[in-house]
Amino acid sequence: MTPAIETTRLCKTFDTRRAVDNVSVAVPAGAFVSVFGPNGAGKTTLLRMLVTLSRPSSGTARVAGYDVRKQADEVRARIGLVGHQPMLYPDLTLEENLRFFARLYGVEGPDARVAELLAAVGLKHRRLDQVRTFSRGMLQRAAIARALVNDPDVLFLDEPYTGLDQHAAEVLDDLVDGLVGKRTVVMVSHDLDKGFELCTHALVLARGRVVSFGAKQDLGADEFAARYRAAINAGVA
Amino acid sequence: MARRSKGLSAVRQYRLLLGKDLRQEFRTLDLLSSMLIYAVLVIIVYGASLATGAADADIAPLSGGLLWALIVFTSLLGLNRSFAHEREQGALEGILLAPLDRGAVYLAKATSNLLFMLVTEVIAVPLYFFFMASGVTASTVGWLALVLLVGTVGMAGIGTMLATITAHTRGRDVLLAVLFIPLIFPLLYACASATTAAIVGGAFWMDTYSLGLMLAGAYDAIMLAVCWWLYDFVIGA
Repeated sequence: MTPAIETTRLCKTFDTRRAVDNVSVAVPAGAFVSVFGPNGAGKTTLLRMLVTLSRPSSGTARVAGYDVRKQADEVRARIGLVGHQPMLYPDLTLEENLRFFARLYGVEGPDARVAELLAAVGLKHRRLDQVRTFSRGMLQRAAIARALVNDPDVLFLDEPYTGLDQHAAEVLDDLVDGLVGKRTVVMVSHDLDKGFELCTHALVLARGRVVSFGAKQDLGADEFAARYRAAINAGVA
Repeated sequence: MARRSKGLSAVRQYRLLLGKDLRQEFRTLDLLSSMLIYAVLVIIVYGASLATGAADADIAPLSGGLLWALIVFTSLLGLNRSFAHEREQGALEGILLAPLDRGAVYLAKATSNLLFMLVTEVIAVPLYFFFMASGVTASTVGWLALVLLVGTVGMAGIGTMLATITAHTRGRDVLLAVLFIPLIFPLLYACASATTAAIVGGAFWMDTYSLGLMLAGAYDAIMLAVCWWLYDFVIGA
């Protein structure tokens, strides 16, 4: 079976600093991968290369079976990203935003898809409100709806819980739980407990390098915690 | 599995992106109102300073240059703000994540900038000639409109490319001006001389006008082709 994500000696260099250094991993389809590491470990840089927002300096990466450099549009059609920002137009309503992105992806039946997503993220009652008026928690749910608009095979979540209050985090928990097993998910997280609880595979990075990557069942919580501490002790890049 | 794209054509992508920009602007009027207010203020300053300093002088030979100075600085203001909506919540990355023809992204943004500049000119240029009491006759209005259109097309095309480059830089307001003015200088020179020839008239005004218009048109064609060709690289970087 083709891995959902496969990287081989993937590197990203900014000037002389190597942010991602020879990362080689293979993520099976349907896995939920939590990516951990201290600040500056290269988590977001790795994610940005996988979603085609940043060009690798060397090495290869394939997502959903396609090369991120040579077949970027094929990759883009099959992925979704929830990043640090909601990636929505603040002066458009949520419904207008989602319809716009659905049409941009060429989704068939965009209106039905938008209605489906609004119900899934529990924002149907706010569909006619401008996104500018949304709270942080609502914005995050709206961002998830946008990321799912093309029903992606691989979903990337970059620290989705950052800045959420307890209630918003619980709502997001339900949404993320609903994704498990249905598609491949890669989540960058600083929350060890939550990230480890959700994942089927854990990837630990430090100074751009892979410290540990494996299935949760092979790793065990104690061994994972020990490896993560070792990554932290390796220092902030 | 991901909902596959219907293979959205570049023309359809262009229309979607342009429609989104227009919808957003007509909802907020951010760009148009600031450009119009700025243009009117410049005209008032022109009128006041020329009334006190050069009341008896024939300002017709200057009016083409002054008009283009007004258009350049008003356009700069608009171009600087043309990516404000994309910047605010990271929507540009949302666009870049979609499997789109980057040329369509460029053309849509350039078209929306062009339309906003033309709307501003339709209001500001008659006001300018009214306050400047320049000798524009009904027979020269068409010639003036033509050179204004050619000049504005070039400025919108070049400016959109540069606004993309500077959108995420510090000091972007100054940086855009520093890049924009030298790059449009040949266009500005050609348009200002054609405009002055049309206003002043004289025995050989059509020769000067035609040469200016031809140079401006050729510069437009070259620069728009270069910008369109480079846009994929620029927006990806």
